[in-house]
Amino acid sequence: MSTPENAVAARAAVDTNACLVELRNIKKAFGGVHAVDDVSLTLYPGEVVAVLGHNGAGKSTLMKMLAGAYPIDSGDVMIKGQKAHIRTPSDAQAQGIESIYQTLALADNLDSVANLFLGRELLTRWNTLDDHRMDADARKVFQRLNKNFKNYHTPVRRLSGGQRQVVAISRAIYFNAQILIMDEPTAALGPEETAMVARLIEQLKAEGVGIFLISHDMHDVFALSDRLAVMKNGKLVGTYRTADVTEDEVLGMIILGKQPAGKQQYERPAR
Amino acid sequence: MNQVLQNLKQSSIDWRMLLMAGVLLVITVIFNLTTDGIFLSPENLYNIAQQTAVVGILATVMVLIIVARHIDLSVGSVMGFVGVLIAFLMYTANWSWPTACLAGLAAAIVVAMYQGFLTAFVGVPSFVVTLGGLMSFRGAAYIIADGKTQPLSDPFFLKLGGGFNGGIGTTQSWLLGAVICTGIALSMIMRRRAKQAYEVPTNPLWLDAVLALVPMALVLGFVAVMNAYHIPNKDDAQGIPIPVLIWGVVALFMSFLVHRTRFGRYVFAMGGNPDAAKLVGIPVRRVTMLLFLLLAILTTVASIVAIARLNAGTNSLGNSQELLVIAATVIGGTALAGGSGTIVGSVLGALIMQSIDSGMLLLDVSIGTRYVIIGQVLIAAVVFDVAYRKWTGDVL
Repeated sequence: MSTPENAVAARAAVDTNACLVELRNIKKAFGGVHAVDDVSLTLYPGEVVAVLGHNGAGKSTLMKMLAGAYPIDSGDVMIKGQKAHIRTPSDAQAQGIESIYQTLALADNLDSVANLFLGRELLTRWNTLDDHRMDADARKVFQRLNKNFKNYHTPVRRLSGGQRQVVAISRAIYFNAQILIMDEPTAALGPEETAMVARLIEQLKAEGVGIFLISHDMHDVFALSDRLAVMKNGKLVGTYRTADVTEDEVLGMIILGKQPAGKQQYERPAR
Repeated sequence: MNQVLQNLKQSSIDWRMLLMAGVLLVITVIFNLTTDGIFLSPENLYNIAQQTAVVGILATVMVLIIVARHIDLSVGSVMGFVGVLIAFLMYTANWSWPTACLAGLAAAIVVAMYQGFLTAFVGVPSFVVTLGGLMSFRGAAYIIADGKTQPLSDPFFLKLGGGFNGGIGTTQSWLLGAVICTGIALSMIMRRRAKQAYEVPTNPLWLDAVLALVPMALVLGFVAVMNAYHIPNKDDAQGIPIPVLIWGVVALFMSFLVHRTRFGRYVFAMGGNPDAAKLVGIPVRRVTMLLFLLLAILTTVASIVAIARLNAGTNSLGNSQELLVIAATVIGGTALAGGSGTIVGSVLGALIMQSIDSGMLLLDVSIGTRYVIIGQVLIAAVVFDVAYRKWTGDVL
């Protein structure tokens, strides 16, 4: 899956010109507050779109709607040109959407194997848990992400931040995510582990996975993203190619909601 | 030696369970010495085993309820309600015992669905729902038979509660013991094969042999003791008491649910991190309803055993039983914060509590003192639990 040759093959198999995700005029209100107000955003295969904004700007809410964690008030989600009905996390998973949350949606009391398969356990033909197959498969995925990973059967609460992140990311890898939502994937990590996540993102991009990256870390955003979308008070300020804008301009958008002068917005990545 | 330690470390042995078994052993030895050998006599062990069954059956399901971050305070009252209903249908309405039991089960399911719906869908904390249930169903138990005791006489039904004719006999006990031992051996062999097939590391052979032989020895030892209890004016010795058999089947079934099914895994995930459970798409409400359904079934089983043992259904049946059940669960290492607990632990917890009670009874300790001591044992168990979690780094 990860060798350069078949990564190229995988990329060739994906039509990079076809839109992977299109969010159309998405709205969401909590009580009287418009958390997400008429936001439209696109994502293409093999592209990283950073979603930026202050706390409460609506970026996490937008992504949670795509992941099925919140219902959408109005607006459409198009996946590969088809209208998708995403009401639950399972609906999103069925569309190839996987999420890695800032709070790491892991059950702390279960071991890493159980967490990898949580909600999608492999079953034997008697509908009982196929522990041995899950164990064997999990070892392969964890090894791929981190050669030193050995804690298959300790509760994940005893793992380090980086190891927990391996477990969270392995969920996306194992189930062949096509669309990946990463909410602050490097927030709790040390430098080495951050580098691991960066390498992984490059690898997934090469395989044609589309990634929404929520991050506060400007270094990550500029190093990893192809485009960036800035939100403020639930509204989209603008979507730009990362290479076109400077850090100051991005901060201007986040803080003041001001579009940078003379820069063109893009609905798709540069090819 | 280092290799052995390494093997033991990775063998997924539950050290805490082992420690609790040790505690139980120490308790029995102390009581045996102080009671001049009466405590470990077959008669006393037989009685402890069958007296523990009702609390033990309920404790197995209370483990899952508490693991899922719920609680059931109404379990004693519902048991009383269902028990009186079954006894009333048999004695006053002249129903046969199977139909009466099915009617009791139906009533228990209605109760559980009502309480489960309020908890899972309306979002009322289970503490409040079942606190209300604790009072309401105690009242219902009174209303059904207008407070009158409903005596039972069906000889087959009474066997379910143990007592004079409540053993399965010596030959059958040995046969059952042999079947269980074969089962243990087979499951160990199958587990080793499966691990090898998937190239997952196995325990060394000697360790797996020990892990299989110890439970086998316990089973055969238990059979031997139960077979040694001979009521003087009977032809044959007692053998395994039927309530204990029921408890064993229930505990096995519950262990199966916990370890081998999605349902069990989801209950633990919900207890460990409710938000994560929702985010990964676990149907939290449905699992909660199923959990209450399971509670209904086992409450019915427990109330059948309880009325069969008492030879009657009375409106005080199961009074403060919920406290004993929760205590057994907690002594068995289930954390009230949710997310951790074992079925084997609940079995040990129930046995420890009943052994202490029985031992003090043999020593003529007054009922007041007994309650004082058992209450403090509960606290000691929780203190130990907190200390153990700090020591292993499993802080909840």
